[in-house]
Amino acid sequence: MSKELEKAGLPVALVSAMYPVAEQVRANRIVKGVSIPHPCGDPSLPPELDARLRREIVQTALKALEAEVKGPTLFTPNMTVSG
Amino acid sequence: MRLELADFPVKEIRLGRTFRYQDGLLEVDGPALEEMILRDGRIAEASLAVVRPGDKVRITGIRDLVEPRVKVSGNGQVFPGILGPVEAVGDGRTHRLSGMTVVATAAYEGTVRAGLGVQRSALLDMCGPGAAASKFGALAHLVLIMKLRDGLSELDAHTAIQAAEFQVARRAAETTLGVEPSGVEVYDLSVRRPELPNVVLIQGCLTDDHHVHSGVSYYGLPIRESLSTVVHPNELLDCAMAVNATRGIGYFPITWDWQNHPLVLGLYRDHGRRLNFLGMILQRIRYETFHGKEVIAQNAAQLAVTLGADGALVTWLGSGNAFVDVMLTVRACERRGIDTVLVTYEYGGKDGVDSPLLFYVPEADAVVSTGSRDRWLELPEIERLVGPYERVQILSYPGAPVAEAKGRLTLDARDMVIGGVDNWGKESWLCNAY
Repeated sequence: MSKELEKAGLPVALVSAMYPVAEQVRANRIVKGVSIPHPCGDPSLPPELDARLRREIVQTALKALEAEVKGPTLFTPNMTVSG
Repeated sequence: MRLELADFPVKEIRLGRTFRYQDGLLEVDGPALEEMILRDGRIAEASLAVVRPGDKVRITGIRDLVEPRVKVSGNGQVFPGILGPVEAVGDGRTHRLSGMTVVATAAYEGTVRAGLGVQRSALLDMCGPGAAASKFGALAHLVLIMKLRDGLSELDAHTAIQAAEFQVARRAAETTLGVEPSGVEVYDLSVRRPELPNVVLIQGCLTDDHHVHSGVSYYGLPIRESLSTVVHPNELLDCAMAVNATRGIGYFPITWDWQNHPLVLGLYRDHGRRLNFLGMILQRIRYETFHGKEVIAQNAAQLAVTLGADGALVTWLGSGNAFVDVMLTVRACERRGIDTVLVTYEYGGKDGVDSPLLFYVPEADAVVSTGSRDRWLELPEIERLVGPYERVQILSYPGAPVAEAKGRLTLDARDMVIGGVDNWGKESWLCNAY
């Protein structure tokens, strides 16, 4: 899907817990997600920490959208947002 | 650990009024078996049928298949932890009725309506292309046709179906007590030849740890998220591995597959000749983070090194992201100097032009394909149905269209045919390159 969207001229940031699979299918902007059932957050965290983690992941994805890339590039959110 | 497996081949099954095995003829007391099944109040209706290869029959509502076995000496009993106490098995002597299975079919709605926890059942044709698509098309079957009481939970349904199936199988195998077998195979790994390479089987097992039954059990205990462990192959021969009996799916090994694991039996055949078979590493796969997948891959490889493996066969069961765990395991083994061969089915899509596997690593340089699970299959109209359903859902999502089970069925994958996917390379396949 991300490749088809990019073909249509829209930059895509793909948030995926299986980021090596995303690299293999040559998605351009890959954001490391938390886990397969919940790539964009962690429901096992207390709500306020989960919110911070989700914000961090979305901000990393927005940075990825702005970045110039040549081929699959991995963007890693700071997963230790609890500090 | 030394197990003698005594073979009693079945050429014909007869429903009668006594229990007897003689010269390939198995007679079972139908009314007595039905009464035994109905002692479980969770089962509302039960009947029996016999089908043989070539019959113009389609079996519906299949949940599991099992080969009848019974232990006649040694510790414990078959289906430990399910029919009896948890006692270590794999030693002594076990009788098997080969060439036949007990097929558990059941009408059951389930309380889970969608997702991986939903009940599913499969079909088996005994003639035509459907029979050719499954290894079970060539065997004789004693079919249990059950209807479960309404409103049962998933766990109640599973234990009711499985207990009926295994009790009937063990009772059928008891007809061989005191009878001379046609042959005896000895399974013993205690003697190794130092000049031969040491080979381990790594069996990846997708389990769903958030479901009531995770999908695969060891001594009756569903395997949940866990690190790898070593299982003696003789434990499989004595039926220590079993499955969730509410989900009959073509690409999921059933109890029969664990009893007759072709890679276990193949490695056993070569033990002391071409290699030393070290045993089976049971590896739970389908970790939900990449970190988890990396850890379980390292863990299985480390165990293989500790066992002294020079070579490893890696295979798996399941589908989807669990295959990432499998490929990482191949890589982890290769990086530790273990020559590793992967045995897997392929996808490829209905027409065979899609990607055959979900994920690749360069270290996977020796891969044996057991065929595609995705190919179209046209099942022609059939004369007679055996089983609880006259109408079947071709797909499993809620509200999926329902078809007349007797009619012509177009399947866009092998999932609906029990034995339709050759997970572990039981069969011989011809490959055509175009």
